[in-house]
Amino acid sequence: MKNDHIDRMLAREDSIVPSSGFSASVMEAVRREAETPPPIPFPWTRALPGLVSCVGALATLLVIAFSRPGRGTDLPDGLVRAVQAANNAGAGWIVLALVVSLVSVIVGTRGFSRVGLGKRGRVYL
Amino acid sequence: MAADDDRADVEKVLAGEVAAFESIVRRWQSPLVNLAYRFCRDRGRAEDMAQEAFLRAYRALGIWRRDAAFSTWLFALATNLYRTELRRIPVGAVPLNDINAAVEPREHLEDADRDRFVRRAVLALPAKYREALTLYYFHDMDVQEAARSLDLPEGTLKARLSRGREMLREKLALLKEVL
Repeated sequence: MKNDHIDRMLAREDSIVPSSGFSASVMEAVRREAETPPPIPFPWTRALPGLVSCVGALATLLVIAFSRPGRGTDLPDGLVRAVQAANNAGAGWIVLALVVSLVSVIVGTRGFSRVGLGKRGRVYL
Repeated sequence: MAADDDRADVEKVLAGEVAAFESIVRRWQSPLVNLAYRFCRDRGRAEDMAQEAFLRAYRALGIWRRDAAFSTWLFALATNLYRTELRRIPVGAVPLNDINAAVEPREHLEDADRDRFVRRAVLALPAKYREALTLYYFHDMDVQEAARSLDLPEGTLKARLSRGREMLREKLALLKEVL
């Protein structure tokens, strides 16, 4: 089979005509999109305390891991004391809660993005 | 002229006149649905994909650079979406090795049968060759336009076309006598 045979066959493609309601359906989706308020920007100022808590929690874990009894640590005394105080106040539970929240958000986001296109009533899974 | 009409409609939409987008949809609905159909061979899914392409175009109108034709930008955007969709949820294609077995042995195949057979074989090609062939024939064998839609250098597209045709030839050897 030569290239021009393949060219002839593949170029000889019949066109399909979009269904009569197609452009109306697109415009309906576009109008819905236009009426949707713009996405809310990420609230960095509100998230900052949470982010600082995360960093603090991570530091707590590191200090706990590196300052077991009978083992020296190179971390500054002030930091060690602050972290130990946080640990006594239940920082471990806060770390656990933050990790669980993070995992929930990641799993939820991924699950949502796996649903296929179905804007016109059909869903492809 | 379509290019001028596109530009004028885009300006209106960007100025807040959402209804002007309908002219763009009417002008390009047939090419976009047909391109989607060539990717998935399913009319319903093709319309869903084309609708999503228009919606994404609407959202991204502001980033269309006027140095490229609107149609080139629209086709590139749609092609990118269709490729992603088809990779995420592939078409239930017959494996390439099973294509020959699917043909009934007959003295002469009708043109329509041959065409259908070849298209099934194209669908069964690996994605990069299938996409190259689909875009090349959709753009009436215009290498430059197909390369732009796929965001590939022309040389790469030509190499993929050549390899894709070669694979088709190997797999369609059964048709050799009847062509």
